[in-house]
Amino acid sequence: MSNPIIENRQSLLYYLLVWSIITAFQLTILRAQFGFDWQTAIIDSLVSNGVYMILGFSFWYPCKFISLEKNNVLRILLNHIVASALAALLWLGAINFILTQLVSTEGYLDFFDRSLPWRLLIGILVYFVIVAFYYLLIYYQSFHEKVLRESELKSLVKEAQLKTLKFQINPHFIFNSLNSINSLILTMPENASEMTVKLSEFLRSTLSSNDIPTKPLGEELKTARLYLDIEKTRFGDRIHYSEDIGENALSVLVPNMLLQPLFENAVKHGVYESLETVHISFSADLDQQHLQLKLENDFDPENRPVKGEGVGLRNIRSRLEMIYNQTNLLQVEKEKTRFCIKIFIPI
Amino acid sequence: MNSNKTMKAIIIDDEALARDIIKKYLEDYPDIDVAAECSNGFDGIKSIHSLKPALVFLDIQMPRLTGFEMLELLENPPVIIFTTAYDQYALKAFEVSAADYLLKPFSRERFQEAIEKALVFIDDNDANQKTVDQILTHQEARPDHLDRIVVKENAKITVIPVDKLIRIEAQDDYVMLHSREGNFLKQKTMRYYEAHLDPQRFIRIHRSHIVEISQIKQIDIVSKNSYEVVLANRETLPVSKSGYQKLKEIL
Repeated sequence: MSNPIIENRQSLLYYLLVWSIITAFQLTILRAQFGFDWQTAIIDSLVSNGVYMILGFSFWYPCKFISLEKNNVLRILLNHIVASALAALLWLGAINFILTQLVSTEGYLDFFDRSLPWRLLIGILVYFVIVAFYYLLIYYQSFHEKVLRESELKSLVKEAQLKTLKFQINPHFIFNSLNSINSLILTMPENASEMTVKLSEFLRSTLSSNDIPTKPLGEELKTARLYLDIEKTRFGDRIHYSEDIGENALSVLVPNMLLQPLFENAVKHGVYESLETVHISFSADLDQQHLQLKLENDFDPENRPVKGEGVGLRNIRSRLEMIYNQTNLLQVEKEKTRFCIKIFIPI
Repeated sequence: MNSNKTMKAIIIDDEALARDIIKKYLEDYPDIDVAAECSNGFDGIKSIHSLKPALVFLDIQMPRLTGFEMLELLENPPVIIFTTAYDQYALKAFEVSAADYLLKPFSRERFQEAIEKALVFIDDNDANQKTVDQILTHQEARPDHLDRIVVKENAKITVIPVDKLIRIEAQDDYVMLHSREGNFLKQKTMRYYEAHLDPQRFIRIHRSHIVEISQIKQIDIVSKNSYEVVLANRETLPVSKSGYQKLKEIL
């Protein structure tokens, strides 16, 4: 890291500005308080402050090497006290040398000698002000970097999470569908072709879904219906599906691959595990703040109890949380023979 | 081989198309007669009992009663060709036994192979029983916890969700399952249930007793080093020394 004041044009300007003000201040005092002529006053204030200003750039090095985090307070203080004394003495020596050569005004040398203790004190104080300023810059810079790194890390983690949370094709579903196709080829070739196309379309839409975060509900629903159609071919009248879509709901953007896992869930826990016909109903409604989606299915209560929330639902819940930064966007209601999932998409 | 006599076969699968392809492939075998098609395990068991088929095509993933659970309930099981789409654990069960299985979807050639193999087993009842036992033993070794238990009393099959189980008591070679839906006898060992019930919910307090933990209302000292538990339904059960140690840890 090189000197941040020289590095940054803006901070260099501020640095020069502050020194100009101090110089003007000193000039005024020398004129008004001590009654020196313009020439003397100008030379003194310019030389004293100009030299210190240039010297100030070098204070960067002690700050850089005496890190606030790696040293204890005593050591930092001690180091800077010694450095400040050295800096002030160096400064006084330099301006003494220059000023005695340049100024020959009567009474000035006497004044200069008398002002030495004050100048020493001010020199030491200014050292600490500049050092504090440098530390502030260092702190700000590292803080800024940290924030940047953290947000980068966060977005990386988020991306990775979203990827894994997204739908993964259930091998059971694929192989059973292929088995249905194999069977249809021998028994009903016409339907086999239809089923093959449906399965391909479905696979294509799930494969291409990984790149875009959201899509209109209408398209999302199309994939889910495709999935249901395929399952209907497998299970015939064991699936009964109905839907009720409110006005304008289809164009609202929803997270990609939101519905299909829910439909799969309904089929898995409803149809796969039931001897009877299972009714699945879907509705979408728009209100002022939300698109409300509701998926209901009945299930066989005699079957094995589904423990808690499945991975699929948990994934959707955390995806919604991540995308909308809001909790409670997914609600689950479980009654004796009916399972209902409600999702609220903020609009 | 009984080649001049027709042989009865039953197809059990919850998907119609999956049954259709087996029927279609079986058209090559005029000696094999599809005596019944069943879409679930209950009907499957009924048909096996009434029709006594020589050969059964059995799907594993079915609602309410899986193919393996069915197998558990069959005495003198017929020769079985399992069909499954994807179940890694089930595949292992087949690898360790001689039973044949068809991975869906399967080709006609692969189907024919399975039939050839099955015909050998049909003539060798002992070998068949052995493969069934191997599969069941392997199933028993499944590391996951049970969530239901199937029992059969005469012709009635009951599926007991583990949620409704209160306690299990040893009875000679059997165990008595005490559930909220009644008591059922099952030919299994206490050790099996001790290993396959969720240890967070069930505890073996005695050589002859496993109890659902939430049922335990109090523990009484009968005499020095002798304890008993009182259940919510007021039953009292003896607690062994090691059972008492386990109870102390968990409560």
